[in-house]
Amino acid sequence: MKDSKQAITRRGFLKMAAAGTALTLAGRPSFIFGREEYDLAVISGEPVAATRKALDAMGGISRFVKKGQRVVLKPNMSFSRTPDFSATTHPAVVATVAQACIEAGASQVLVLDHTLQRAELCLERTGIREACKNLPGVHVLALQERKFFREIKIPQGKILERVEVIKEVLDHSVLINIPVAKSHSATGVSMGMKGLMGLIWDRESFHSQYNINQAIADLGTVIKPQLTILDATRALVSGGPGGPGEVKKPNLIIAGIDPIAVDSYGVTLVPWYGQNFKGRQVEHLLVSHQRGLGKIDIDQINIFKEKV
Amino acid sequence: MRTLIQTLSLLLFSTLFVFATYKLPNWLPADIYLRLDPLLGMNAIFAAREIIGRALWALITIGVTLVIGRFFCAYVCPMGTSIDFLDFLFFHKKKRPGLKAEPSLRKAKYFLLILFIAAALTGLSLAFLMDPMSLLTRFYTFFIYPLAITLINLFLDLLRPLSQALGWVTLSHLHYFQSVYYMTAITLVIFGGIIVLNRLVPRFWCRYLCPLGAFLSLISPLGLFKRRVSEDCNECLKCQKACPMGAVAEDPRGTHLAECIQCRTCAKVCPQNAITFPASLSLGGEYSKIDFSRRGFLYSLAGGLGIGFLATQAPFTLKQSKHQLIRPPGAIPETEFLRTCIRCGECMKSCLTNTLQPCLWESGFSGLWTPKMDPRLAPCDQNCNVCGKVCPTQAIRSVTLDEKTHAKVGTAILRKEMCLVWAQNKICLICDEICPYNAIVFRPIEGYRRPVVIASKCNGCGFCEQRCPVKGESAIVVIPEGEIRLKEGSYVKEAKRLQLEFKPDPGDDKYILEESGFKIEDKKKEKENILPGEKPQPKKPKGFL
Repeated sequence: MKDSKQAITRRGFLKMAAAGTALTLAGRPSFIFGREEYDLAVISGEPVAATRKALDAMGGISRFVKKGQRVVLKPNMSFSRTPDFSATTHPAVVATVAQACIEAGASQVLVLDHTLQRAELCLERTGIREACKNLPGVHVLALQERKFFREIKIPQGKILERVEVIKEVLDHSVLINIPVAKSHSATGVSMGMKGLMGLIWDRESFHSQYNINQAIADLGTVIKPQLTILDATRALVSGGPGGPGEVKKPNLIIAGIDPIAVDSYGVTLVPWYGQNFKGRQVEHLLVSHQRGLGKIDIDQINIFKEKV
Repeated sequence: MRTLIQTLSLLLFSTLFVFATYKLPNWLPADIYLRLDPLLGMNAIFAAREIIGRALWALITIGVTLVIGRFFCAYVCPMGTSIDFLDFLFFHKKKRPGLKAEPSLRKAKYFLLILFIAAALTGLSLAFLMDPMSLLTRFYTFFIYPLAITLINLFLDLLRPLSQALGWVTLSHLHYFQSVYYMTAITLVIFGGIIVLNRLVPRFWCRYLCPLGAFLSLISPLGLFKRRVSEDCNECLKCQKACPMGAVAEDPRGTHLAECIQCRTCAKVCPQNAITFPASLSLGGEYSKIDFSRRGFLYSLAGGLGIGFLATQAPFTLKQSKHQLIRPPGAIPETEFLRTCIRCGECMKSCLTNTLQPCLWESGFSGLWTPKMDPRLAPCDQNCNVCGKVCPTQAIRSVTLDEKTHAKVGTAILRKEMCLVWAQNKICLICDEICPYNAIVFRPIEGYRRPVVIASKCNGCGFCEQRCPVKGESAIVVIPEGEIRLKEGSYVKEAKRLQLEFKPDPGDDKYILEESGFKIEDKKKEKENILPGEKPQPKKPKGFL
């Protein structure tokens, strides 16, 4: 996979996507141009190098970000915790992706989250604002006001009919989800799928009013990140989502287009609360999988592994 | 010249006020104006019956006033500046009726001063009612500041289409946190009243009411600079009319020295240029005397002592710790706190989360405007210790973040009848999710996982109460039970002594999983639980199948 940064024409891409979908439906690993295409890139190493490598392995950032496009990055910066708590995405991972997007010609990169704690504290203590400070065209914003959200319908929603989503996510073509791997007291783990809740206005009702696992799946039918990059450089294996809790260090970056595959693989990395689990055992992932949002069984996922 | 200095002083006051936030650098004394106020200092020292370090800054003001005179009112006082400015805006063209009872009214401020000092001696902090620094800071906090934020946000909203069109990403997403306070209206009415009084005479407040001005005027006749009128005076009385303080005597050559604030307005208006302010060591002759009757003195003294006595008796005081009142972390013990707090509102302004709110009657008459936490509105953030930093009398101690974390303000309790999990078997664990100290854990009780509070890990920060999704009152509330109020010494040590730990304990969740938590429930069931297939319910953490 040395020269994986191949140029892909739109037509070729569509063909490939169609073929890929067909093959996926047939339950077989997908191939492009006779070469294997991987569902997941699992890269071990330091945050920056591993993130770069993961992007390369997924076909390069330019596969997802075209010149002049605006990109929304969704890290988890919901808590005013420093990176060592592992409750938030590593700032170096976010900055690396942001820089790659700019290098690929993105007109603008918005790093967005609807934080759970006071916005300025989250931006400050997670280190994400600082890490992106010197990247021109990159803006780190915590949106805490309803006016920055817009309501959309969820046609395939089982329990949610509509949801208010950050406008930029709806107006922009490219969404890259950059969750951190952590435990969650309500949903078992909080990774890419659960992280989508950071893009909506009313999170509380997910907990109090609805079945949260169904609600996440509903959300997954309307918010579809083009790429998910799971920051498993550290994993908060207990005490999540806010911490404090036990932090393990898998030193991994996992990238993939299939959000369920990424999360599902993430589940297997470490024991959560001292127990080993599979993706199928995480209710919101299983529900999402059953709703057709992605692959959940690791033995059916084509994984590229490398150490940098 | 004077206007310039005044404006600069008001600007400095406002700037320091703006700086009094979470980001306040340690070296910057944002509360310096309040520290410099000798009335507040005396009030706190007398009421608390001990020396308060920060209040000693007021000695500077006293010293300079002794040397120069009552310059403070004309040049430094931001309240005086506000009055002058608003006076110019609203009333400068109006003919003012003046007051007949002028000389006796002048005494009012001295009576008030004596009353406040007397009340302070009984242990009742009362000067805040009329001290200009406290009053103005309060007005800024409860009115100007929230209003300014509203206006700025409104402006940003209006600007938003433009900033979006121009691609100014940060600006088009800018929105400032809107603080809200109880008692905004009351504070506005008081300040408004002070301004409206100017309709009668200029600087009505400063002439007749200001107890700080009264104190400064008592020591000002010793000052170096005094008004002197030369032989050229033609008795046109222009100076008498122009003097904002009414300090020019019947005979325009004479000066009520105690009232003169050295603004030099008289020198400016004098057509003969007959008025100068040379340095002189004389005591100013007949007009320097402050006309102050013995009877008035005794009355106000008795009044102050009486109020002080009454206010500390029921029904004007509420029984301490018998009602819901959460003080900010680091607040000294309640009795001392009430005596020391000068109700400036600086802590509430600086509060990062807006949880600090003024009391109305929650702690009785003696607790008006004192800060309390309102956890349902907002929690206390564990990364912020600014309220102590800006407290000019250290009624809230300035402590490090670690110390502040251990300054327990109360304990959360679950109201099971309201809790969605306890009462309705719903899946809700927002309190557990948000708790920064893992003080809320889920334990299997009668086959269900139920949230419980571990009191020894809860420092009362209030995140749970604020986030509880139950409508109306929270199902988990912070009560003052277990609060640590220390006048001195380390909160960390005290917390250790009480075997409290406000720290992550990642093992706790694990404990539930592996031990199933039945240990505390019923020791006999423990064995059954280990049997495979028995009671699988609590075996797995939430969200896993």
